[in-house]
Amino acid sequence: MKNTHDTKLIFELSKPGCRGAVLPACDVPSPDGGCDASDWLPADALADAPPALPEVTEPQVVRHFVNLSQQNMSVDTHFYPLGSCTMKYNPKRNERAAAMPGFNEVHPYQPEETIQGMLEMLYELQEILNEISGLDACCLQPAAGAHGELTALLVAAAYFKDRDFKDRGEHRTKVLVPDNAHGTNPASAAMAGFDTVTVKTNPDGGVCMEDFRAKLDSDIAVFMITNPNTVGIFESNMQELADEVHAHGGLIYLDGANMNAILGITRPGDWGRAGTGGADMQHYNPHKTFSGPHGGGGPGAGPICVVEKLAPYLPAPMVVKKETGYSLDYDRPKAMGRVRAFFGNTGVLLRAYCYLRTHGPEGLKEVSENAVLNANYLLAKVKHFLPVPQGGRCMHEFVASASKLKSERGISAMDIAKRLLDYGYHAPTVYFPMTVKEAIMVEPTETESKETLDAFAETLFRITEEEAELLHDAPHTTTISRPNEVQAARNPCLSCR
Amino acid sequence: MPYIYNTPEDQQAMLAAIGAASIDELFESIPDELKLNRALDIPPALGELELEQHVRELAGKNLHAGNAVSFLGGGSYDHFIPAAVDAIAGRSEFYTSYTPYQAEVSQGNLQAMFEFQSMITRMTGLEIANSSLYDGGSATAEGVLMAIDTTRRRGQVVVAGTLHPEYRETIETYLHNLGVEVVTIGPENGTIPVSAITSAMNDQTACVVLQHPNFFGALEEAQAIATAAHNAGALVVGVFDPISLGLLHRPGDWGADIAVAEGQSLGTAMSYGGPVLGILACGKKLARRLPGRIVGQTTDRRGKPCYVLTMQTREQHIRREKSTSNVCTNQALFALRATIYLSLLGPGGLRDTADLCLRKSRYLAKRLTSAGRFEMAFDAPTFKEFVVRDKENNVEELISAAASQGLLAGVPLGRWYPELADCFLVCVTEKRTKAEMDRLVEFLEIGAATTNTDELVAARI
Repeated sequence: MKNTHDTKLIFELSKPGCRGAVLPACDVPSPDGGCDASDWLPADALADAPPALPEVTEPQVVRHFVNLSQQNMSVDTHFYPLGSCTMKYNPKRNERAAAMPGFNEVHPYQPEETIQGMLEMLYELQEILNEISGLDACCLQPAAGAHGELTALLVAAAYFKDRDFKDRGEHRTKVLVPDNAHGTNPASAAMAGFDTVTVKTNPDGGVCMEDFRAKLDSDIAVFMITNPNTVGIFESNMQELADEVHAHGGLIYLDGANMNAILGITRPGDWGRAGTGGADMQHYNPHKTFSGPHGGGGPGAGPICVVEKLAPYLPAPMVVKKETGYSLDYDRPKAMGRVRAFFGNTGVLLRAYCYLRTHGPEGLKEVSENAVLNANYLLAKVKHFLPVPQGGRCMHEFVASASKLKSERGISAMDIAKRLLDYGYHAPTVYFPMTVKEAIMVEPTETESKETLDAFAETLFRITEEEAELLHDAPHTTTISRPNEVQAARNPCLSCR
Repeated sequence: MPYIYNTPEDQQAMLAAIGAASIDELFESIPDELKLNRALDIPPALGELELEQHVRELAGKNLHAGNAVSFLGGGSYDHFIPAAVDAIAGRSEFYTSYTPYQAEVSQGNLQAMFEFQSMITRMTGLEIANSSLYDGGSATAEGVLMAIDTTRRRGQVVVAGTLHPEYRETIETYLHNLGVEVVTIGPENGTIPVSAITSAMNDQTACVVLQHPNFFGALEEAQAIATAAHNAGALVVGVFDPISLGLLHRPGDWGADIAVAEGQSLGTAMSYGGPVLGILACGKKLARRLPGRIVGQTTDRRGKPCYVLTMQTREQHIRREKSTSNVCTNQALFALRATIYLSLLGPGGLRDTADLCLRKSRYLAKRLTSAGRFEMAFDAPTFKEFVVRDKENNVEELISAAASQGLLAGVPLGRWYPELADCFLVCVTEKRTKAEMDRLVEFLEIGAATTNTDELVAARI
């Protein structure tokens, strides 16, 4: 059934003279009597020929790419228990909304009076995100979660510069990051010009308070925390962490990757002791929590919410509501600069808005309740044959370990992941967090049925009973077997010559 | 809830298997005092039909390139998107898949990304491209960081004042806390004089950032500027318009070491500026400093050629604070759209598109400036955009009045260039027809003769 001809590289399908698109004839008279480009543009700026793109027809293009598509797993076709990635169902109604020309064909520099519907949607989204986080001001500009991290850290830097540096000449240089955090956290801190200080975590994934206190001093700018953490546990010392960071004049940043566990249940802004405040800033991953499709790696969006005192430093523009209508506020003298061109990833934000409006307060809470129920159910089924070091309960995801299988039978987390592909399941996240040996990180999400979870657990069990040799060489039924990654990295072939 | 399968019976059975009495019990690790204990104060849930009616109403309040005639550019363009782009990219297997970390079940995405990288190398004349970044602005900033890292010159970067103002601001933001100065070279008559670049260079200049054609649509003396930068030991970050490459020299050919672009023109909707497509390419010796994901060709265990994410030791999930960038999520779907778009157009289609943009924009420029009120602001040759000066210095009102007639006439420049407050940027893509351009000219001429809004409305074309 596999079509090997049409899935050759598109360049190999090229035949001179073929075309998939024909442009209309020019309908304007040639100004100034010119007849080709060299009559209007300097000859030394012109290329001899256009780039060597493939020459193919529309049917060929369609058959090529549709055949390629069939070599992918996707949420619409398979269960994707990919820990940390929240691969939930992507509602079709959101796609229809995003495809409306009234959103899709709007130019970023249109006059405000011509985009009132767009601005209204964005304003309402800002308000909803503030309420979910328990924070005060929202910036929709960042293009992805990591971009939101970077933006928030630059906001923090601008705040400290304005406040501490001016008043006391203090210069805060450190960002504390737990050792089981996503790699984007320390990478964003470095990009924002901070020194990263790694804080140890306990076996349950929680922050090691002793190490935290040893590293906490008045140089701290920001403590970045993921909560629920990357092993799927709610941080038991959250209030102490928030209080102590605040007592040292630092800020708490919440990596919002795991918001799917806590919507309408607890709010990051409320995580301090009464009256002292919790998280000061957080990002959302609308392409995870609020169901934006991943598109093979993107687009995402990374809106951030912050407490009142940080609001003046958010990049311009923000959407504001006035008596005369909605407007873009550029008059923000303390704002750090923009982190990209144009307003933000509006198309992704619109899908998030649709998702939030579809759920309402009760619906969002049900999302988290069922995400946590599904994860705990799967955990209960799996832990008997695949140990889960962090214990008996979890939030929206858990991290099992193949460590015992590895030492006893030589079966690795990677073997299990690859064998799952044969059975029609996307692999869980493996080898993350690095603090768990042979980690297998499972996040079922709320949009999977009990029947799917039962079948997945049964398959996982069956795999642990299979011959080690069979697993080492898995997958056996996919388009390709395991790729030689060493060769790919050592002798990079990154484009078709 | 529409997307949850668990029935109350399922929930009870699952709780029993877990050994929990209630769903609330599953949340007992969260201290009670941290719980919200009230409903979120957000609007109530809408059904699908109500949602559709609501968003349709919101969409109906917006003018857009479908119900208005758009002459807006400045980095986001109303180019034609063939139907096959939507049909293919809308397939669930592309649309709802994750980042292709599991290569065995992602060969479709990986091969398409490899084809994208290959097309970008052919478009730019450089050897290596990554598989996308967020947008043109952040891609430019990443290119600058690469140049600083490569040259180990941390004194300054020299940025053309004719670079997109929001790209310039993004560079400044990215460099703000890194101790590298951003020196902006002001334009003269709409372009950057080579001599100004030469005199701005010193032995700590990491790079020169040049957009060609520039933000004003004008062609720079790109090759001479690149030479001036190279003579001072700096790299060149070249910002290009992919459509212009149907006619113009590729950035690698005029001397760019790192080429970056906004790729929205290549088959992606404007969508109010995002999500769009950041493109970044460079020479081979800079490969290990590239940000973002890269796909490479290799073989599988049975010797079969295949594709895989590679050179991951540059990336944040391996290298953490020592990575080349914090980028994780990218814009894969739009890289796919660009690959489909460029496959459909081919070299001939790209050349024809560029040629139509050039001819039509020349036609409109000629007609607009033949009336008394408007003149071309600059003398340099332009590609598909040009800057018009309103001698009556009433740009904002004119643009607003035009919008009320369904004409998105141009982008006022005063916000970024106070000295150009009497100017606006006009863009003409291959989609604009003679009738549409004539209508714009007619309206602007009437607008020139009329100051009364009622009369403007009465004169509706």
